[in-house]
Amino acid sequence: MRGRTARREIAGAVRLLPAMTSASVSVPAVQPRRRGDTGRSFGWLMIAPCLAMLAANSIFPLIYAVTVAFESYQVLIPVPHRFIGLRNFERIFSDPLFWSSLGVTAWFIAGVVLLQFPVGFGLALLLNRLRRYQEMLATLLLIPTIISTSVAAFQWVQLFNYQFGPINYLLGLLHLPQPTWTADPALALPCLIFVDLWQWTPFMTLLMFAGLRSLPSSIIDAARVDGSTAWQVVWRIYLPLLRPVIGIALILRILMAFKLFDIIYVLTSGGPGTVTENLAFFTYVQGFRYFNMGYAAALSLLQLIAVAVLAKLLIRLTRRASAATAKE
Amino acid sequence: MSGKSSDIQRNPGAVSSGLSRRNVLRGGAGLTLGLTGASLVGGLFPEEAWAAGLVNIEVDAGQNENPFRWNTDAMKSKFGADIKMIGLPFVGQYEKLVSELTARSAAYDLLVFPPYFLGDFVALGFLKELDPYFGLLDPQIGDDYIPVYKDPVIKRDGKTYALMYDGDMLQVAYRKDLFDDPSEQKNFKAKYGWDLAPAKTWDQFMQISEFFTRPPNLYGTAFYAARGFCYAWFVNIFAGMGGRWFSDDMKPGINSEAGVKALEMLVKMKDYAVPNILQVDYPALNEVFLNGSTAMVIQWNDLALKVANPKMSNVVGKGGYAACPVRTYLPYSRVMAVSAFAKNPEDAYRVAAYMQLPDVTITYVYDSNCGQDPYRWSSLKPEAAMKDHTGGPSLDATDAKIYVDAIREGLKAGYPELAIPGAPRYLDILDLYVSQALAGSLKPKDALDATAREWASITEAEDPDRQKAAYAAWVKSFKDVGVSY
Repeated sequence: MRGRTARREIAGAVRLLPAMTSASVSVPAVQPRRRGDTGRSFGWLMIAPCLAMLAANSIFPLIYAVTVAFESYQVLIPVPHRFIGLRNFERIFSDPLFWSSLGVTAWFIAGVVLLQFPVGFGLALLLNRLRRYQEMLATLLLIPTIISTSVAAFQWVQLFNYQFGPINYLLGLLHLPQPTWTADPALALPCLIFVDLWQWTPFMTLLMFAGLRSLPSSIIDAARVDGSTAWQVVWRIYLPLLRPVIGIALILRILMAFKLFDIIYVLTSGGPGTVTENLAFFTYVQGFRYFNMGYAAALSLLQLIAVAVLAKLLIRLTRRASAATAKE
Repeated sequence: MSGKSSDIQRNPGAVSSGLSRRNVLRGGAGLTLGLTGASLVGGLFPEEAWAAGLVNIEVDAGQNENPFRWNTDAMKSKFGADIKMIGLPFVGQYEKLVSELTARSAAYDLLVFPPYFLGDFVALGFLKELDPYFGLLDPQIGDDYIPVYKDPVIKRDGKTYALMYDGDMLQVAYRKDLFDDPSEQKNFKAKYGWDLAPAKTWDQFMQISEFFTRPPNLYGTAFYAARGFCYAWFVNIFAGMGGRWFSDDMKPGINSEAGVKALEMLVKMKDYAVPNILQVDYPALNEVFLNGSTAMVIQWNDLALKVANPKMSNVVGKGGYAACPVRTYLPYSRVMAVSAFAKNPEDAYRVAAYMQLPDVTITYVYDSNCGQDPYRWSSLKPEAAMKDHTGGPSLDATDAKIYVDAIREGLKAGYPELAIPGAPRYLDILDLYVSQALAGSLKPKDALDATAREWASITEAEDPDRQKAAYAAWVKSFKDVGVSY
């Protein structure tokens, strides 16, 4: 009883706080003290190593990459590099391999997002309906996500093996055709999308599941009392209320899919031909196989701008969606 | 005893009063810095890296490290050198080496790489000239090096920069049990009108491949079609069609009529190959012959030794060997060179020189547990091919003769791998477009036209006059040893 009274008093005080600070209470001006200056200096001293690391690892490389993007820098040609203006960028837009890698990137992102969201959301709904073993199943679902991507990709190299792979072995037992998987130009990109789906759908599921758990049960109960069907609950309540979570999940997955490298490197190396060579892999090839640093820096810069614009757009859309939900 | 410790002894409470947050932070920061510094120093300068006589050897990881391992004790006892192998991936070795050497890294003393890197590495000053070291240990090159593996491969501008470790060529391996089968011979003759035998022309090769294509248990052929080295199997046909890398004025010759015909043929060859042909790389190519699923493959010439090893092969005693039709491409090979940034160049040279001495070479070039092939006349004899590095059996007398004869035939019609400055980029671009043609993304003519455009831009970036001179010197070095080009 005493505890409840105390909580009520605290709550009252908290309600009063903004008013007190804004108008009714005059706060005496704080005089700057020598000790404060020392504290500030000490604070700067403490974060100096971090700032130095940030400058060395991020700021300097970024400035250097921007500079190199406008130069004819090729490591393997023993002549001094020089300023060439926008020539690296002109070359990018006239390079068919750039356009094909952009196409691969777009297909990959579309495939991953369009499949991962419904599957992840569906699994989250199922998980949310379970009365028992919820946590255990959520933990088990996460296993693919916590495996190192390179290791996972190596596993899939074995699984997709035409001759010795278990998938083709099982298909053989069922007298079904045994595809060549990543060696088939038509199947290689779908294989990559599938591996990404396998690895990252649990992540989507977990985000959606956390979102579902955070929704107030009173709204759902009220909807059920009013006679809403399960489909109506999902379509009219879950999805609108989950917009902010869905937005964040999609932003994360799109950005991750945009810069995908390791699965491609291990599973297909961009092949057969260049059918699985995305922008990240294409940039790697230009920079670290041909050591064409100016061109690779220009490609990186373009991708940085593209990702920044894309992220900004998605964040804006998410905010707008959240605001609309709040209004409703 | 210091004053502070006496205080502590007198007043135990002094310890707790000294444990202020600031002191803990200071102590923690000091400890962290100290440990970080110690680990950095330890990491940057591991004691063993500076040990006298230690030679760090870079080599593509796997079976190609073995000859060094087999000779570790001998080198230790002869000149006190310890060796440490640093394996790099077969595909991707160039990128890794360039990254290290551009940073002037002393991580490697001795470098093992294919000679097509040599043009770049010499131009960029990554290698030490070896002639001044010959006094330390005579490499006994003389007339014993097979000419195509001598001056054109190990020298640039008259100076020696490398010593041989592996003399590669492509070779046809075929199932002699199938080729000698009377009913197969009869059916073949009835269908194609000539006697079944190892192909002398590429048209014959295609006919044999077609004849033995009987899926799912037997396929006519297989080749390296994965990204990385599929270009070499194209060049092997291109050479036989009379193709040339460049014209004398450095115009790309790759998209010539010979090039297009060769690439169309390679694309057609997929129809007679194992179903996962686009995934077939070096180990997979060995595997499809060793497990008996192909009647004939073109592969680097060490496959014969693996066929004879019952631990590796299901087709022991069934392998026949012949030179490639028309011309024999000589892709890859391996040389040993001393890094310009080596901490231990003398011992690195001694190791290189020792490993290619006639008496040492002959012990490993016929061993199925490594990928090294003959590059000295003294080891190119059937009796040598009958022993592995322990002196145990390798090929039987009949196969040894067939194998050595096939190598000799191949050498007569050898077609050199491009090794001018920029060669790794010219070849990788070719590989990229050949793989696109094999994948069906581009038509052969379009793929080769795109290759030619990129080659022209590489030449332009490298400096056309310098490239022209380098190409002319390289062609002359082969013509001087009797290679027709």
